[in-house]
Amino acid sequence: MTTAMQPAGGNSTRPQPSGLADVIDTILDKGLVIDAYVRVSLVGIEVLTIDARVVIASVDTYLRFAEAVNRLDISEEKQGLPGLVGSLEQNGARNKTKGALDAAGDKLREFTGGDPEPARAPRRSRREN
Amino acid sequence: MPVQAHDAQAPRSAPTGVYVYGILPGDIELEPGTTGVGDPAAEVRLVRQGDLAALVSDVDPAEPLGRPEDLYAHRELLDAIATEMPVLPLRFGAVVTGDDAVANELLGAHHDEFATALGQLEGHVEYVVRGRYAEDAILREVLEENPRVARLGEQIKDADPDATRGARMELGEIISNAVAAKRAQDTATLIDAAAPSVADSVLRPPGHELDAVYTAFLVAEDAAKDLEKAVRRLARDWEGRIELQLTGPLAAYDFVGAPDQAAVS
Repeated sequence: MTTAMQPAGGNSTRPQPSGLADVIDTILDKGLVIDAYVRVSLVGIEVLTIDARVVIASVDTYLRFAEAVNRLDISEEKQGLPGLVGSLEQNGARNKTKGALDAAGDKLREFTGGDPEPARAPRRSRREN
Repeated sequence: MPVQAHDAQAPRSAPTGVYVYGILPGDIELEPGTTGVGDPAAEVRLVRQGDLAALVSDVDPAEPLGRPEDLYAHRELLDAIATEMPVLPLRFGAVVTGDDAVANELLGAHHDEFATALGQLEGHVEYVVRGRYAEDAILREVLEENPRVARLGEQIKDADPDATRGARMELGEIISNAVAAKRAQDTATLIDAAAPSVADSVLRPPGHELDAVYTAFLVAEDAAKDLEKAVRRLARDWEGRIELQLTGPLAAYDFVGAPDQAAVS
């Protein structure tokens, strides 16, 4: 689901350390906010990005859960959990960081399975001076 | 800093901006050729002021920022540095008018605050643990624990969605609340399991309805192995129920203080 937003292949040798949604949570929601420090010389710049966050308690959520129950075969309730047994996977080698600016290869250890990405809607925000 | 002669290409002489990635101790050397945000990506450089430095690159404020490449560039730069030395990461999108503003208004005016924060981060990095419920598994759990859910489930089974909308809404809301309760419980389990190996933790708000745990940890570098072991153990306990991911080492995005409080001071 993230395909449209992945960095274009070919010209980028960067590892994909984690999903774009995680990156957005990290650097758009966290970190020092410069407005709190610099008051005079800010430059307003348009930040185009996407909103990776799903509103998690909404009518849509409720209906999705209900539909998921509908799809669930309740008669098989007592069975095991097929297809979910994962193994520990390690991506990248550890402790290899040499130059300060080597792209970090040791970002993500995915302990089981894949990472279902939430739906996304465009988000635009602009900070004005 | 030499002013680049862009005027021939940009007759209206677009104002320049300096993008700031983070603040770090001044005794850093950058590898030449390191690039950051923008298209084409601009070269990253340092603005120094006393014993502090800011990691910056030039941007054209008329060009919107926020392509995935920009986001990854911002984060990867800071994460790579965080494995070498403490760094205070700025939120994506910080642009000021020039090097003077970086040196004086940012580094100079807040020197003590930044120096103290860098001292506290010394030797620490951030890790993020995120877990996602396996939908079928968690729904079965809720079904088993809550007879009302099972009844409503039967009621809507293969029924006309419009005719059973009320039942669907009720069912969904009960499940949503049940998942929230499980989230709180599983998060507490994670925090307990991580506690011996971490210096601090910050909960992140769930970003998806099936998020089980989403927590940032501040970890001394020599304790990272212990955290990994703890998470690995949990992953085993939760196999088939929660998909766990451990991401790091990262710059300490979640532990650089509360900007709102800073704004008040």
